[in-house]
Amino acid sequence: MSSRDKVLATLRANRPDPAAHPLPPVAVLGDMDKGRERFENALQLLGGQILLRQEGDTLATAIARRFPDAKIICSAVPDFEGTLRIEDVASPQQAAATDVLVVRSPFGIAEMGSIFLSEAQLNSLNSAAHLTQHIVVILSEDNLTANMHTAYLERPEFHTANYGVLMTGPSATADIQGVLIRGAQGVRTLSVWWE
Amino acid sequence: MKVKRVNHAKAAEEFLEDAPHLTFHDERLWDMRQKRDQQMHILPEWQDLRSRASEIKEHTLANLPEYLEQFEANAKKNGIHVHWAADAAEHNRIVGEILERHGSKSLIKSKSMVTEECDMRSYLEPRGVTVTETDLGERIQQLDGQMPSHIVVPAVHKLVPDVAKIFAKNYNTDPNDNSPQSLAEAQRMAARPVILAADAGMTGGNFLVAETGTFVVCTNEGNADLSSTVPNLHIATLGIERIVPRMADMGVFIRLLSRSALGSPITQYTTHFRGPQKGGEMHVILVDNGRSARLGMEEFWTSLKCIRCGACMNTCPVYRRSGGLSYGAVYSGPIGAIIDPTFNERKYSALPFASTMNGSCTNVCPVKINIHEQLYKWRRVLAEHHELPFVKREIMHMAGRLMGQPTLYRTAINGTEVALSTLPRFVLYNWLNPWGKHRELPHPVKQTFHSWYKENRLKKGKAQ
Repeated sequence: MSSRDKVLATLRANRPDPAAHPLPPVAVLGDMDKGRERFENALQLLGGQILLRQEGDTLATAIARRFPDAKIICSAVPDFEGTLRIEDVASPQQAAATDVLVVRSPFGIAEMGSIFLSEAQLNSLNSAAHLTQHIVVILSEDNLTANMHTAYLERPEFHTANYGVLMTGPSATADIQGVLIRGAQGVRTLSVWWE
Repeated sequence: MKVKRVNHAKAAEEFLEDAPHLTFHDERLWDMRQKRDQQMHILPEWQDLRSRASEIKEHTLANLPEYLEQFEANAKKNGIHVHWAADAAEHNRIVGEILERHGSKSLIKSKSMVTEECDMRSYLEPRGVTVTETDLGERIQQLDGQMPSHIVVPAVHKLVPDVAKIFAKNYNTDPNDNSPQSLAEAQRMAARPVILAADAGMTGGNFLVAETGTFVVCTNEGNADLSSTVPNLHIATLGIERIVPRMADMGVFIRLLSRSALGSPITQYTTHFRGPQKGGEMHVILVDNGRSARLGMEEFWTSLKCIRCGACMNTCPVYRRSGGLSYGAVYSGPIGAIIDPTFNERKYSALPFASTMNGSCTNVCPVKINIHEQLYKWRRVLAEHHELPFVKREIMHMAGRLMGQPTLYRTAINGTEVALSTLPRFVLYNWLNPWGKHRELPHPVKQTFHSWYKENRLKKGKAQ
């Protein structure tokens, strides 16, 4: 008997009575506010930033002001030039040379300040979102959903993407004597640009 | 060969002797507990979430074979190779074979309690595979040759100078570096080249979703994402109990997990893997390793609901003052004390006694496992199976006799009060009296409640 069949057989013999444990209906609980303010507060709580838009700013000028030392600015969106197109990055490893990655997220979650990215936004170069030093995420207020329940219920990406990450602020750790450090192993900063 | 019992109390003694470490450990974990409370108070629906999480998990466990089959079918449809491992040895063999087939010599991995359970590193390394932990805390533990002392914060028992010493030895950094920031940066700089050159990546996983064949991984460092997206070979290993039926159920669990663990609303990264990335290959190993047997234990099967948040550890006064390593097991704290004996009853027979029965673990558990009741039930099972150490057995036996006879009990209590007030310290505080270790004995009372009651209430009652 294969391990698969052995495990399944033991589970069938040992399980509690299924009739005594019905599946509850899908939960949709909590605050249904999907406003920009809620999103921004949640994002900043976890160390994420809003990329400042000054009078007359374009995304390019805002990035130039925020990251004056950036040499390689990789763009994964058609409407922003950058210094490198994501399509021209040949391997997952090569994405490590990137200083700033610019990408558009299909939706954000107001409760958490999370943004979603999948292979569809990253030209199938998923490593780019993690090897870059900084990430700038373009997001539309219209694409905010209230909380985790509504996100999982409403967003088709959870059923279609092979790789789907919710990023909430930058990489972080508190593994050395409990001291919170932002920018641990992945992106050092995450900024949202409202469009 | 007789398996040696883990002597939790003795190991804890060493931990207690080091005041700076003890104080930090106690306060850090209590801080995590308080942050969890703050999050709980923000959400009026908190108790509903816990109930729902518990119901979903119990339903899933009662229907585990069907949901696992559904997961397998969907994952295969999406191009994932699905493997089943009955035990640790089979798990390690499967991983070894996948790596061998690809000629992979360098494996980067994120934290996984299942790979700890299977002691995978010590299987792979003699076979020529270099395994590098990418989670900072787990890496510190790997370099120090220790097991994780906590399931969420593996190196929580260490202070900055400890890490500085370990990094100096392995990364050539300044042994006197006292900045957590620069030490974390040293880890980033040391890890990057290893990540970029790795042949294969491995992750654990927090959840399996039957409906879509997805597995979900939660980290704060993003190291699971680095481990899975940089190399083109991704192996994920998960316990079979990690499954939920529907994608929409994830809302309940993600809302509870990090709030319970660290007191943050969500982990910085919550990643959903449904299939291999472009040009890549993906394997999922479903690990039993005693879980299917545990499902048949009427009093203990609900421990399989655990989502490994560590809230029970953070709140436990015994855990906070004894440290995870004193449990001598992969899983420590209250949850460890109720699941470790299912792996080895004799070896872990002391662990269910590492509790004051205050019930705090049960109260903070996001999936409502009755942890302190199971601790109590384990004590009974271990006594019935004659797995109690000699001293504990004899003390229980004597206490049972004493408490069964009121006259004898009262004489003994009066005697104790006299002893506490008259005996010199060296008689009270020595190896024969474990209650005198690391703590002051209670002040003797002038009168016991019983004799006071006899003098006052009993007489007056009769007079009325």
